[in-house]
Amino acid sequence: MEFLWEVVVEAVRSLTKADPELWTVIFLTLVVSVVSTLFGVVLGLPLGAVLALGRFRGRGVVRLAVSVGMGFPPVLAGLLLLLLFWRSGPFGDLGLIFTPAAMVVAQIVLATPIAAGVTAGSIRGLGAAAREQLAALPLGRIARGALAVREARAGVAAAVAACFGRVVAEVGAVLIVGGNIVGETRVLTTLIVEESRQARFGAAVAAGVILLSISMLVNIAVDRLGGPAA
Amino acid sequence: MKLSLRYPAVDPVLDLEGLELAESRRTVVFGPNGSGKTTLLRLLAGTIQGGPGWDAAYLPQTPHLFRGRIGWNLGLGLGAEQTVFAARLAERLGMGDRLWEPANRLSGGERQRIALARVLACPRRWVLLDEPLAPIDAEDRAAVARVIAEMIGDRGAVIITHDLETAAALGTHMAVLVGGRLRQQGLLGEVLSRPVDRRVASVVGVSNLWEGVGLIRSGGFASVQVGSVQIWGVGAVTKGLSSRVLFRGESVAVLGTGGSVGSVRNRWEGRIAEIRRGGRWVELRVEVGGATATAVITPGAMDEMELQVGSEVVAAVKASAVRLLSAG
Repeated sequence: MEFLWEVVVEAVRSLTKADPELWTVIFLTLVVSVVSTLFGVVLGLPLGAVLALGRFRGRGVVRLAVSVGMGFPPVLAGLLLLLLFWRSGPFGDLGLIFTPAAMVVAQIVLATPIAAGVTAGSIRGLGAAAREQLAALPLGRIARGALAVREARAGVAAAVAACFGRVVAEVGAVLIVGGNIVGETRVLTTLIVEESRQARFGAAVAAGVILLSISMLVNIAVDRLGGPAA
Repeated sequence: MKLSLRYPAVDPVLDLEGLELAESRRTVVFGPNGSGKTTLLRLLAGTIQGGPGWDAAYLPQTPHLFRGRIGWNLGLGLGAEQTVFAARLAERLGMGDRLWEPANRLSGGERQRIALARVLACPRRWVLLDEPLAPIDAEDRAAVARVIAEMIGDRGAVIITHDLETAAALGTHMAVLVGGRLRQQGLLGEVLSRPVDRRVASVVGVSNLWEGVGLIRSGGFASVQVGSVQIWGVGAVTKGLSSRVLFRGESVAVLGTGGSVGSVRNRWEGRIAEIRRGGRWVELRVEVGGATATAVITPGAMDEMELQVGSEVVAAVKASAVRLLSAG
């Protein structure tokens, strides 16, 4: 018990210290998570609407790809991107390896299928009457998709929250493509990994509390955005 | 246009060989639940694949209003001018002062009026309506039917219903579907009064649909002139305007000449023009001054009266059994 109590005391001390290095980590975490969530949503929402409403050849393949993507192991995504971005790899000239940009790319890869899958699911979950009415209205494809997304907005808000939740909590991919470099590519999750490894449990727990708080605040905000379910 | 639709993805398989739908007609598709009416309409509208997918304004069986204001829903898919027109239609349907309210507060009948206004304002060559009057209160149906008929104008329409009065108020032609198959089609009055077989007769019944001119209104009753016959019934007619008269063959009593008919308001002397035995009942066609009344009576009654083609009889119908409908 004494050990745990010491950890808590240490965590509180870390939180109240307002270490500038910690602020850098928090800031980078927010930037990477928000930017990759935005891209994930911008790419994933239309893809989800197309999956739910479109009739085209190869829809089954795309649907399968999205399903697999939703549960794609982040470490594997990190490894694949590491190979692509490696200095002598196909995209090595871009110089992305071990930069926040590479982390954002990795997070987008992980977030987009989630946005698409949850959006498609919530549109498919609209009532039969709403779906028939969508098809009945004299609308173009884009307007029809937009109306479907609008009607399923509670589910779409869940898609945004799920995206952010995944990227803010993700550690494997950003660790591999970002490298966990202090002051450059270290985010809250990789900070926790590092501090745990160094047995600085107080600092690790403090980072965990901050991570959880961010996640909670974003979920509350998104929930408000989605409006009442009815 | 002759249509041969086969749609095997439903049970029973929809197999409509030779269904005729023309742009100048308002074809009522009639049939019991599960006969394939809605599937047919969805195929025509293109909301399920495998049909012609017409250039049509389509009212689904359960219209849905999306989250937002009623007025916004009214304009979905319409241009600015058409939206204004739809709003005017909504006003005629009694929804004029509701357009700023949230759509999810509407009742089924109110939702139907908004959806109808939107569909009728949409300038498509075809109008497809699935049970357009079902959610509307009985007392308002005649008025709503008038707006529908006027707005369809000379466009082609396919209207699904399993209500005789809706059929009589809106249709010019009729197709009867049973078990996914086309059983009969033709002019509305013909199909109603002459079902081809017992199955159709059991689905549609045997009814008289007359076209006439509105005469007088008195109390809850009104009368319509059909040929040289005046007929009293229930409903609103406008003097001098064309009206339709609907009454069931079972409501027509056939009596010997000189017999008393007591309180019955409609009694006409005529001659039997045709006798058709249909098993459990007999259809009699009685010519009464320019109109033909089809009466459904029991074989026993017919034998007792020794009726035959050419017999002089009196046909009588209670006014309360006669529906008068203003034709669009």
